[in-house]
Amino acid sequence: MLHPARLGAGQKLALTANRLLDGVIVWRDAAGAWWSAFDRAALLDADEAEAALAGVDAQKDGVVGVYKVAVTPGAPPVPATMRERIRAFGPTV
Amino acid sequence: MNAPIGHYQYDAVDRDFLASRIEEFADQVGRRLSGALTEDEFKPFRLMNGLYLQLHAYMLRIAIPYGTLDSRQMRMLAEIARVHDRDYGHFTTRQNIQFNWIKLEETPEILRKLASVDMHAIQTSGNCIRNVTSDQFAGAAADELLDPRIHAEILRQWSTLHPEFTFLPRKFKIAISGSPQDRVAARFHDIGLVTRPGADGKPLFRIFVGGGLGRTPFVGKEIFDSVPEEDLLMTLEAIIRVYNAHGRRDNIYKARIKVLVEALGIEAYRAAVLAELAQMDRAHYRLTPEMVGAIRARFASPVLDAPADAAARLEADRRRDAAFDRWVHANTHPHRAPGFIAVTVSLKPTGGSPGDATSAQMDRLADLADSHSFGELRITHMQNIVLAHVRQDRLFALWSELREIGLGTPNVSRIGDIIACPGLDYCALANARSIPIARKLSARFGDVALQEEIGVLRVNISGCINACGHHHAGHIGLLGVDKRGEEFFQITLGGRSDEKAAIGEILGPALREDETVDAIARIVDRYLSLRDMGESFLDTLSRLGDAPFKEAAYEAA
Repeated sequence: MLHPARLGAGQKLALTANRLLDGVIVWRDAAGAWWSAFDRAALLDADEAEAALAGVDAQKDGVVGVYKVAVTPGAPPVPATMRERIRAFGPTV
Repeated sequence: MNAPIGHYQYDAVDRDFLASRIEEFADQVGRRLSGALTEDEFKPFRLMNGLYLQLHAYMLRIAIPYGTLDSRQMRMLAEIARVHDRDYGHFTTRQNIQFNWIKLEETPEILRKLASVDMHAIQTSGNCIRNVTSDQFAGAAADELLDPRIHAEILRQWSTLHPEFTFLPRKFKIAISGSPQDRVAARFHDIGLVTRPGADGKPLFRIFVGGGLGRTPFVGKEIFDSVPEEDLLMTLEAIIRVYNAHGRRDNIYKARIKVLVEALGIEAYRAAVLAELAQMDRAHYRLTPEMVGAIRARFASPVLDAPADAAARLEADRRRDAAFDRWVHANTHPHRAPGFIAVTVSLKPTGGSPGDATSAQMDRLADLADSHSFGELRITHMQNIVLAHVRQDRLFALWSELREIGLGTPNVSRIGDIIACPGLDYCALANARSIPIARKLSARFGDVALQEEIGVLRVNISGCINACGHHHAGHIGLLGVDKRGEEFFQITLGGRSDEKAAIGEILGPALREDETVDAIARIVDRYLSLRDMGESFLDTLSRLGDAPFKEAAYEAA
């Protein structure tokens, strides 16, 4: 499932998915490995993200539902929307 | 074992079916993990077994037919919470339970554990007939004309893997009440059944069709008012056939039966059903007294013997302890048998997450069901738990034990008894978080004396327009909306799900999340200042309209 990610000023993109075996949310690093920690995510420009997405072999990587997420830069960077912040850092309750 | 109190006793046929179904699913899981099945191919299979891929992980929704569990089943749910999830489960408005952190590879093992206590997750998803819900006071309520669990079980067996109704235009929900009083939100279901007395003493079914919430809420319309038991299955079959033939499949948002009923009009829909009935073989579909009796025989009945002074002892306990008296006032319901009382255990502790229970609480509830209510528990569509057959002289002991596990809150049907969907914290569809605002509201009104003073006031919260928190039906409803990445809440007033079912009306523009609890508090304050003696919130709203409440809600916004 692809989710459109609108990029605001200075924002980057990260690739995310769920791990096939246990559904855990994962983030793709610059080398193409998937990690459950958001801070491992590669932050990409739009073109880089598109190319990275096209290169993902979800079955080989053991992930499901790969899509792009807008990330607001900062120290540390965080996903731009509440939904993706909850995915990255867990439920707020 | 002997037949369980309160629900149908499985036999070898039921168990063999479940076993083969689980092995089929285990094979599908294996093929998914090996890559033989793509996610698109696998998704319909997992959904047919109640397994969703949610925001954080796989979510497993387990069916609790007509909301009734026995203590061994509750203990198994506790084990699943402890071993396979994060030590808690979430009871839903469909009288089911959801686990939010399930691993795909463990799902066949979980289903085997469930099957070992005669449970499953079949038809808890997909465009089929879902779990049939029923009155939480079934078999106990003094106003009951028939025990709706018997008919709910008949409908469960009729609808499970029904070859015609496995791929309906959209999901289909049925609720049944054995009493003229609607405690099941019948008018907000695809089909709602409410019982009324017949002239010959035999109960008849009133059938409501096309009710529902979501983005296009409708109150169900009465299609028939006097269906005898023997024609129940035939009539339901005809109603759903008409829907299956004419319901829209081109637009998911217009695919529910409510849209078809609204488009045709109830008269035309009724005419279509009558035409279908006219060409059906009545004898084939007839639900005979023998068939009903055979199902009834698979339910054990509790032996309701209480000491003659049970009621007097309860009264003495109430006089002795004001906190207990307050809890009895809010959390109990009259029982048909002298010396007994039905108890609603609130899963809404002050400041807590509505409908959640830890594995320890589930285990303890199972123990309390064994010691106080014939080993039987019911999940309510208000996300609470009912122990239906409690001796009045033992009620104080039960309350004391419930308090020890944090489940003694005296707030049933009060403002603290909030119904809320999982919201954006867990749900992939949500726009806003439901649980945090439910917790804040609950904490704001944590004073149980204030809740008692306010009286009956139902608050329902949904995190999106799909309305799993039934916000349209709340006396006060909150709908979470997303405005440019920020959570806002739209307030509705005047919803209700009883015999006078109504859809709440929007009060005004949505408020920011951090303004919403204060706005609700001002609405409640305004109600307290305006109400006549003994007047409920809904009656005050009806008398005065929403203007004073709108003024209160927005005065400081």
